[in-house]
Amino acid sequence: MSLQTWQKNALRILAFLLVLLMLVMAAGHYLMPQSNRYLEGYTAGGILGEDFDTIDVLVLGDSNAAQGIAPMKWYDEHGITGYTYAAGWLSMYNIYYRIKQIYEEQSPKVVVLCTAPAYTKKSSETYMQSALGDIADELLPLLRFHDNWKYLTPQNLFTEKDYSWRDINKGYAPITDVAARPNTDYMYDTGASESIPLLVQFYMQRILQLCDEHGSEVLLVTVPAAVGWNLARHNGIAAFAEENGVPYLDFNMAEYNPGIDWMTDSSDGGTHLNWLGAQKVTEALGTYLLQNYALEDHRGQPGYDTWDSDAQSYRDQLPEIKERVSQNAGIV
Amino acid sequence: MAYNSFPYLCIFLPLCWVAWAVLPQRYRPAALLGGSLVFYWLTAGTYTVWLLLAAALTWALGLGLGRLQQLQEAALPGLDKPARKEAKHQFAALQRGMVTAGVIGLLGLLIWLKYLPFLVRTLNSALSLLPFAWQVAAPSFVQPLGLSFFTLMALSYLFDVRRGTTQPAEHYWQVLLYLSFWPHVVEGPFDRWAQISPALLNPPKPNYRAFTFGVQRILWGMMKKLIIADRANMYVKAVFDNWPSYSGSAVVVATLLYTLQLYAEFSGCMDMVLGAAECFGVPLAENFRQPFFASSVSEFWRRWHITLGAWLREYLFQPVIVSKPMMRFGKWCRTRFGAALGRSLPVWAGLLLTWLAIGLWHGAGWLYVVYGLYYFLLQWLGEVAEPTLLRLCPSLPRWRTRRWYKLWQALRTFVLVNFGMLLFRSNGTRAALEMLASLRRPYEGSLLIKLDAQDLWVLVIGALVLLAVDLLHERGIAIRESIARRPLPLRWAIYCGGMLAVMIFGAYGDNYDPAAFIYAQF
Repeated sequence: MSLQTWQKNALRILAFLLVLLMLVMAAGHYLMPQSNRYLEGYTAGGILGEDFDTIDVLVLGDSNAAQGIAPMKWYDEHGITGYTYAAGWLSMYNIYYRIKQIYEEQSPKVVVLCTAPAYTKKSSETYMQSALGDIADELLPLLRFHDNWKYLTPQNLFTEKDYSWRDINKGYAPITDVAARPNTDYMYDTGASESIPLLVQFYMQRILQLCDEHGSEVLLVTVPAAVGWNLARHNGIAAFAEENGVPYLDFNMAEYNPGIDWMTDSSDGGTHLNWLGAQKVTEALGTYLLQNYALEDHRGQPGYDTWDSDAQSYRDQLPEIKERVSQNAGIV
Repeated sequence: MAYNSFPYLCIFLPLCWVAWAVLPQRYRPAALLGGSLVFYWLTAGTYTVWLLLAAALTWALGLGLGRLQQLQEAALPGLDKPARKEAKHQFAALQRGMVTAGVIGLLGLLIWLKYLPFLVRTLNSALSLLPFAWQVAAPSFVQPLGLSFFTLMALSYLFDVRRGTTQPAEHYWQVLLYLSFWPHVVEGPFDRWAQISPALLNPPKPNYRAFTFGVQRILWGMMKKLIIADRANMYVKAVFDNWPSYSGSAVVVATLLYTLQLYAEFSGCMDMVLGAAECFGVPLAENFRQPFFASSVSEFWRRWHITLGAWLREYLFQPVIVSKPMMRFGKWCRTRFGAALGRSLPVWAGLLLTWLAIGLWHGAGWLYVVYGLYYFLLQWLGEVAEPTLLRLCPSLPRWRTRRWYKLWQALRTFVLVNFGMLLFRSNGTRAALEMLASLRRPYEGSLLIKLDAQDLWVLVIGALVLLAVDLLHERGIAIRESIARRPLPLRWAIYCGGMLAVMIFGAYGDNYDPAAFIYAQF
């Protein structure tokens, strides 16, 4: 059977695209960072260094989560193993693909999905551009890691990548800067509800479905943020939570407020929390988790040696962090 | 939806091409029109209404002009000489009236939406000199996408129909397709109706070669935009937006990089535009021809944004210098200043008007007036100084054929163009003058501003590749044809290499700040 010209041309184009795709995937592999330390912003990539199936609480979010939830505090005080997988501008699309990867190594009992990524996008992009860009980044690692060519040397090009690095703060970034926000009345009622963009909602539902398939319970959480959060957004998330039967804790609301003092607890005038604010939110969230989920105390258990040693390192760094943040906040 | 965006390249363009290719031939224009309207709507939203209105006015007047010509041709043969003269006179007046209505309508729209705020600001500045405090409220409009481009294309259509050099479109959708055709609606080129309407209205069969050549050209444009222009933008933006902090070498490097950025971006955009149109079998006009090989600034402008220069030459400069008032002015000059100067003065007046139009087309502001005047002065000085130079250096005509002198001319033009670029990119005339003055002060900081050493190397290599490609084109070598003759593995290696280069070395992602297409703002 002889092919028509257009069929031959179509096959040629398909063959070319296949070759290109293979090259793109191969280049993407070589451009991935040499260490999991640099896989993602903050220290999210450290999750790949954790022993398999040791994480019970997985926190997912953007920079608000990375600076607002400190899981090692839970382990230190209650033996709950948690990890904050969070980075700046991480979107719900990113989170969906990342959690799929995380499930290959971990089986968290609770997934804390922080809600800020439901609304954040770069101002220069439309929601559609942001979605397509983020999804393409996830499907083609070359797009995400393309700039790593700067760090390639003939020596490290073909060496095996080392993804065993662990973060003693378990994804949390202890920020000690203090920048006050005098006007803290940001949750006033305008009666409005900002609905979650449709494609974001769709991906949030896919996340819920994925968690359900893996037996994880989902908890929606909003980290306090005087800049970037408001009651309209709260209402949008609350509506989503109700529709999907998921519990929702908004620490910006008076009923859950962990006692944030915006004069001392933010690192940048209300956008992100500093160490002081994170301690309060982590404490409140930890209490909620203990009360509502059957989470085991893993301290001293076999298979959790790395957690115990990381907890010691975590405790060792605390005095210095406390001193620095207290100085910056003017706390005697 | 930018031409270099993921949705455009990976969704919009392939979908349009498939729709265009699978539809029967007579429905293909509908695919192009549908794609164009969807593109415009997605990019400009409700501002699409301005485009629809401009197309409606253009179509109606074009049709009217065509009908008048038909009536004239039918009516004149039966008339005696005086009556024929009278009828001709009346038809001409009617046609003039229609073209004037078109000019008022279309230019009015352009002036209203683009230039009114500038005119009001200028008026307020003048009023502030008066003893009473009276100011006009400055309006603020959002300019519809590609307004300057589709307005000038609509005007060229009306002028050509009026001159009888082209037939008017029968249907509204045909004019709408011509004006809104998505590859040229954002940044041009200024295509003529007669040139592209055959391919738009009677599209050729899908052609594998045209498709692959088009894709190659898009890829080359992407390389220029993403690897060079967006990378250079980081440095340029840092220096020009904080100009008081920089001086000397930092300003020189920023100016050179801006020239590189603008060339890579605008010509890269044209490659993406012409490549996209080529995939659909539509031959758009070339807008660049190796501008940095020009021996003078006037030649530079015949090689840079060619279709703008050609438009202004054909529809502004030439009509102005042969217009009755200008003829009278020429006559008056010849009697007052002698034959030589009398012949030159009307041409210079026409040139001044054209350069002011080029300046103002780029933006509504005094900076752009100065920008136009700068090039007028250069061209004028070149012409005025020519006889003196020939007297001082009789060997000049012989030298001009030598390679070293051509190189000197190209270098001289390059330097002059760079001064123009500094003016063009600066935040106002005062900033431009202060930046020029700052060239005398040495810059003591690091020249790695917003870019690391690797980025600068990419820019240097990118500039050299651009130069090499331009050199090959200047020598008449068709690179795509040459690649097409190579064996398939080599061809694929070149294409895959180009695509990987864009993906790896492109200045996109969190570490960069890609700029929107500069000419899309005009």
